[in-house]
Amino acid sequence: MTIELSRRGFCIGTALIGLQTVSSSAFARSEDGTVKLGLVAPMSGPNARYGAFSLRGAQMAAKEINGAGGIGGRKINILAGDSQGTPVEGVSATRRLIDQDQVDFIIGDVSSSVTLAMQPVAEDAGVLLLNAASSNPKITYKAGVGGFKWTYRNYPTDENRALIVLQYAAEKKGFTKYAVLSVDSDYGRAAIEFTKKYLPRFKSQILTEDYYKEGEVDFRSVLSKIRDSGAQAIIMYGNADSTPIVGRQMMEVGIAGKIPLIGNAEFNTEKTIKAAPKALEGAIEAAAWLPAYESEKSKAFVDKFTAEYREAPNNHAYVHWETTHLLAKAIDQAQSIDREKVRAALSKIHYASAVGEVTFDDHNQARLPMILLEIENGKPAIKGAYSAEIDYPK
Amino acid sequence: MFYTIIEQVVNGIVSGSVYAIVAVGMTMIFGVLRAINFAHGEYYMLGTFGAWFAIEYFDLPYPVAIVIGVVATAVIAVVVGNFVMQRIVGAPAEAGVLATLGVALILQNTVILVFGGSYKFFSGGYIEPVTLFGFTLAEQRILIIIVGLIVFVGLELMVTYSRMGKAMRAVSQNIECCAVVGIDVRHIALWTFILGAGLAALSGVLTAPVNVSVYGGMGELITFKTLPIIIMGGLGNVRGTFVAAMILGIAESLVATYVGLQFRDTVGFATLMLVLMWRPHGLFSAQARF
Repeated sequence: MTIELSRRGFCIGTALIGLQTVSSSAFARSEDGTVKLGLVAPMSGPNARYGAFSLRGAQMAAKEINGAGGIGGRKINILAGDSQGTPVEGVSATRRLIDQDQVDFIIGDVSSSVTLAMQPVAEDAGVLLLNAASSNPKITYKAGVGGFKWTYRNYPTDENRALIVLQYAAEKKGFTKYAVLSVDSDYGRAAIEFTKKYLPRFKSQILTEDYYKEGEVDFRSVLSKIRDSGAQAIIMYGNADSTPIVGRQMMEVGIAGKIPLIGNAEFNTEKTIKAAPKALEGAIEAAAWLPAYESEKSKAFVDKFTAEYREAPNNHAYVHWETTHLLAKAIDQAQSIDREKVRAALSKIHYASAVGEVTFDDHNQARLPMILLEIENGKPAIKGAYSAEIDYPK
Repeated sequence: MFYTIIEQVVNGIVSGSVYAIVAVGMTMIFGVLRAINFAHGEYYMLGTFGAWFAIEYFDLPYPVAIVIGVVATAVIAVVVGNFVMQRIVGAPAEAGVLATLGVALILQNTVILVFGGSYKFFSGGYIEPVTLFGFTLAEQRILIIIVGLIVFVGLELMVTYSRMGKAMRAVSQNIECCAVVGIDVRHIALWTFILGAGLAALSGVLTAPVNVSVYGGMGELITFKTLPIIIMGGLGNVRGTFVAAMILGIAESLVATYVGLQFRDTVGFATLMLVLMWRPHGLFSAQARF
């Protein structure tokens, strides 16, 4: 009997302690007068480079905001969580940030598969998860009216990209017949899936469809098939390292300069163009942002980042810098760090980003323009920023 | 239609030549050491890196870079041969598998440690396309076919007429007898290994200009392409390897064109399975080594 009692006592005691922890932690959150911002990104592992750029971008934004007096007197304090680029680690990092560090908001992750795994965790905890760099359309298919009310994304999706590229190719170049040569991954296949969705809109068709394995080095058979198919352009969503090989082999089979590459596979880097100048001429690419983009805000960011970190920023640095500023504006407009109020402010925001105005749709997806470029005379020429409204599945 | 098929066969012969030069080294090593060299692709990678280094850091012309790539790999092969390969002569098969897998990991990671894991750009070679009988090929690919033929004729002559070649054939047939009649088996094993690694390096340097990207992990793919070839060719059979390499090259090319590029890598092992069902010892007899 005594054992029974003490057990019960132990349980009650534990529960009381737990309750106290919970209630005290509710006050503990940001009681130090800061805004605690969690940043989940691959800080180690093969994608650590992206994580480093993301953190630097966000930290630079925090420094700027804090330097200008913070948001309503509160300074931003960035707490980094390492996802190692894997969903499992991404979820534990998110849990740690929410439970132990008591963050107010989270930005993350670079990888779509990690973000998809983080979504339910953020939803359960009622913490705003603002994504700045994942492109898989499913993230916002599932958000807003699609389900998760705490997930937002300030980044164009693969669907956006597919539509914008196709629209430009059809309207400005008059292409209607395409060959597909994309990487055999979720990214490459999804991009083509969405391209197919919009083909009828532009009265276009795909004549041949091939996917290459990462590390593939021989594309000649496929390229000669494409040459004989009558395709006007090759849709390629792929890896940066395969593009120079494809370019050189396009020269070999005699389609360089005749059938351009369109899509997204780092057509615009100096090394790639140098590897096969004739094949890359006329290549069309849609990107979220480019260091060369002509806008005052963008140029100022590039200069400041380069001066601060002694290296030029990449896309990930920019999107995290811009997203931190976007969140700061939402907090400022909400006049509070209350999550519900900030979420409401974010939904109604009109934010002037370096590439254009950002607003969110009912799926919590930012309506964002993408930068379109074409390789002309061996150099990327920016053709402007293009927007496209997403056609969500019903 | 007919033109396309011929063109794909030509493409296949080019790929086949590359596979043949790599695979012949691996099959000779198997013949003498009775071990499948899982680090074989790494010598292909080392040769490419040697040439890339010579061009990138010393601005040397491509022909000199070829020599540097092959010689550097041969030097590494001398070290690996002395410390590892010689010791697996007559050892159980699993010792060979583990030892060569270990060597593969060490070589790959050392290169990544020294040069970084990112893709490098190989800028040498002769990439201008030329038109021959209505087909367009890069000059480099014609070079690959010519070198491939020279290598095979040279090997054939060497194993038939030279003292070293005859010793290699003898060791591949019966190690114990060779040891009894006074042939230095370890010495022969070492030289066969160096020759095999050198040929893999040569193949790497020759293909680098058309494959452009150079990185530490590039050898793995080659090892796994080479495996079905040497099994199909009859382990240890040089001529068989040549024919098997051509079959694989042409089959891959036709599959990539008419079925889809994504199925290309399955061709090797699918063909291997079909061949083994019909001829369990491979297309060519393992008894007729070299």
